[in-house]
Amino acid sequence: MLEIVRQAVEAAQTVGAAYSDARFVAEESESLTVKNQEMEGIDRSLSQGVGIRVLVDGSWGFAATARPDGPEIERTAALAVAIARAASRLPAERVRLAEVEPVRASWGTDITQDPFAVPLDEKVGLLMEASARLQGVKGVSFAEATLDFYRRRTSFASSEGSAIEQTVVNSGGGIEATAIADGEVQRRSFPNSFRGHLKAAGYDHIRSLGLIEEAERIGGEAVALLTAPACPSEVTTLVLDSNQVVLQVHESVGHPVELDRVLGMEEAFAGTSFVRPEDRGRLRYGSDLVTITADATLQGGLGTFGFDDEGVPAQRTVVVEDGIFQNFISSRETAPVLGRDARSSGAMRADGWQNLPLIRMTNISLEPREGTLAEIIGDTADGIYMDTNQSWSIDDKRVNFQFGCEIAWRIKDGRLTEMYRNPNYTGITTEFWGSCDAVGGPDAWTVWGTPNCGKGQPMQVARVGHGTPPARFRYVRVGVR
Amino acid sequence: MPGLIGPDEVRAVTEAALDLPGADGVEVLFLHEWGGLTRFANSSIHQSTWREDTGVRVRVQTEGRIGVAASNDFSKDGTRKAAASALEMARVVRADPSFPGLAPQAEVPQRQSGFDEATAATTPEQRAEAVAALVAQTGNGFHAAGAYETSALEVAVENSLGQFCYFPQTQASVSTVVAGGEGGTGAAEALAARHGEIDVEAAGRTAFQKARDSQRPRDLEPGAYPVVLEPTAVNTLVAFLAYLGFGGRAISEGRSPLSGREGQQVAAPSIHIYDDALSPDTLGLPFDFEGTPKRRVDLIDGGVFRGGVHDRRSAKLAGTESTGHALPPPNPEGPFPLNLFLGTGDASLQDMIGATQRGLLITRFHYSNVVHPMETIITGMTRDGTWWVEGGEVAYPVKNFRFTQSILGALANVEMVGRESTLASEFFFAAARVPALKISSFNFSGRSDH
Repeated sequence: MLEIVRQAVEAAQTVGAAYSDARFVAEESESLTVKNQEMEGIDRSLSQGVGIRVLVDGSWGFAATARPDGPEIERTAALAVAIARAASRLPAERVRLAEVEPVRASWGTDITQDPFAVPLDEKVGLLMEASARLQGVKGVSFAEATLDFYRRRTSFASSEGSAIEQTVVNSGGGIEATAIADGEVQRRSFPNSFRGHLKAAGYDHIRSLGLIEEAERIGGEAVALLTAPACPSEVTTLVLDSNQVVLQVHESVGHPVELDRVLGMEEAFAGTSFVRPEDRGRLRYGSDLVTITADATLQGGLGTFGFDDEGVPAQRTVVVEDGIFQNFISSRETAPVLGRDARSSGAMRADGWQNLPLIRMTNISLEPREGTLAEIIGDTADGIYMDTNQSWSIDDKRVNFQFGCEIAWRIKDGRLTEMYRNPNYTGITTEFWGSCDAVGGPDAWTVWGTPNCGKGQPMQVARVGHGTPPARFRYVRVGVR
Repeated sequence: MPGLIGPDEVRAVTEAALDLPGADGVEVLFLHEWGGLTRFANSSIHQSTWREDTGVRVRVQTEGRIGVAASNDFSKDGTRKAAASALEMARVVRADPSFPGLAPQAEVPQRQSGFDEATAATTPEQRAEAVAALVAQTGNGFHAAGAYETSALEVAVENSLGQFCYFPQTQASVSTVVAGGEGGTGAAEALAARHGEIDVEAAGRTAFQKARDSQRPRDLEPGAYPVVLEPTAVNTLVAFLAYLGFGGRAISEGRSPLSGREGQQVAAPSIHIYDDALSPDTLGLPFDFEGTPKRRVDLIDGGVFRGGVHDRRSAKLAGTESTGHALPPPNPEGPFPLNLFLGTGDASLQDMIGATQRGLLITRFHYSNVVHPMETIITGMTRDGTWWVEGGEVAYPVKNFRFTQSILGALANVEMVGRESTLASEFFFAAARVPALKISSFNFSGRSDH
């Protein structure tokens, strides 16, 4: 498919583009949902096409078509140039792209077993068994088990001479038990909510999840939540399991350090950020224990690739070091704001062929320190432990947040005691991270996936990764009503 | 610019999948969409895009087993391949005893044309002009951000029982946030079937006035206050109530906060919520994604819950008929109302403010999410224009609040309903037409620093 994208770039240059790049993307997906041992959803989809991005007189234009034949490619390239020219009616500051070395390369996710080659009946059998185990728990009303697989093949070419082919494979699965009684609905998920644990991996990842083995525990917790007391309203010590730290990192660190958001490019939709360019090296984002990185080279991350959608090599960027904010995630367009010779951090990705690349999280991770979850809980005299994200909300500058979890327990003298339902907590971003006084170690650190990150207009959905350990925070308001 | 493919050519392709050997039933959902979006920030156009895509989604039934496959290869060969893939999947699963069968042949009701040639053919230059006209409304020291979009859509459903329905539609929308001065923002948006019906200058003026009137917001303690919610904020409440409660499947399964509450008073007597895709006052298809004709459904009437919406599966579960509210298959979540209305009252926005001794005027909510589904409690932030009202007049702007509030609790406390309604969209593919509301108590659980 490199031939098609080269043709697209040539067509764009011919009709006046000063710079152009093109991506041919073919995305396949397979999704299976079993509910109460009935197949509720089994589908496959294929979407492919070409997106052409151009710079004309310092303004961007973008057009995309699902029909990548010769005349259509030329028509779409001309349309992208016309769109860029129309921007001159109200031009922004002339775009100047940060330097990047042109590259000819190919890259693929390192997988052991192609998930699309695994027979469907094996996948269905796994889900039926997991659903049966969940349903076997007395009091479980709905027993759901899911699998999702994605394969994205991208061919990229630019007028600077880059030619890159990549194949990214994601696999994930999960179970969810729903218990209903007396006007209360409670859900428990494993290994994570929102269709489980999605990684850049093959089917071997699915085999390692333990969906069948954990089903009885998860079903039992869903039922127990029906009669558990509501999470009390108080200010207390909060311990978060690693799968909730994911959400905390995602919403209150990952999004605020996107440089396009900082520069106002997302202002009307998802908002801006409290972080400013001059905060680098100065802003205390969290306690000394808080070090956060953006790493597109991380094994297994949903934000792992060889090159971003501008052809910039995958890289690791320190975002927060020992509590001090250091760097944004950026693009070729935005990086020069930070300095004349600044380079892109390689974070531009598009949702399919039909969308313009935006700055997206790669794998934004809270770096491990030391200790296990059990050790952090054992070291806590009084507090609340929350597990598995259920809901999220944060303001338009990423300052005030409120997040909910599926389940919580009281920690008393280093031990989990009473279970609570409907737990949630609220805080102010830098105050919350500043109160972090325990971060788990490498053995408690997991690379999770967030498959539903929304941004941009038209709305784009990205799959991004987060490596996180459990962590502890002091003086947190919980049980918000 | 592309144009409509049209029902005859669509049918020539979708029919290619209907005689699939080994299938007992085949349904093809066809979508063709195209359009452009001009995005602006810092009062300049910075991202402009255009795209065209087609797609078929084929559902195959064989011996009671179901498989679904989708492709954006809209050709006879591509449609046949999708059908074959769906059949392959159907063959490995168990029979689905809840499958209600494909939609029978039925006449689709007439609906006012939703397609406007001029909107479908809008050029990048026209969108840029519209954005420039909007930005020109902002004063010195302020800047605008937002998006202006024009799009067109053809939808068709055909199945092996002989049902075929087709409808084209266009849509134009603008949304903007104006910010600047010494701190303060304002927002406005508009949505219509025709781009000629979008008053971009009015959107720019409104957002600028709100930003200008939001300068130097003051601190106010969180707590329960009377509120006047403008339509965009009301739309958030209605959309989340629909998401949590109006689906027939969730109601039957006991997952809805409205399960078992048919005939009960769940909101103030002034509240009337209904879904009506056939109304000329909304953007709607006259059939659902299974090919069932849509019908109007009264959900809450006089504050009394009357029942939810249905697709064929949820209707079978509830022992009733589909109301034409299926989403594209497979859809484990069940039916959804895409064209909601909250009935209007007789008050102007000024009447509501005038009747508020101490309370808040709120433009819109941001990043809302569910806290407790069965109690319809959601949380979110205020944004782009929040003011303290005292003695019947807007007194001063306040910093943004976090709310944590039961939707049904708020609707039970409605004191006044606006006489004008606005069409807005909270979720993809869904639009609701709602008025402003005056509510006697609304819970604010926290606040931000701006």
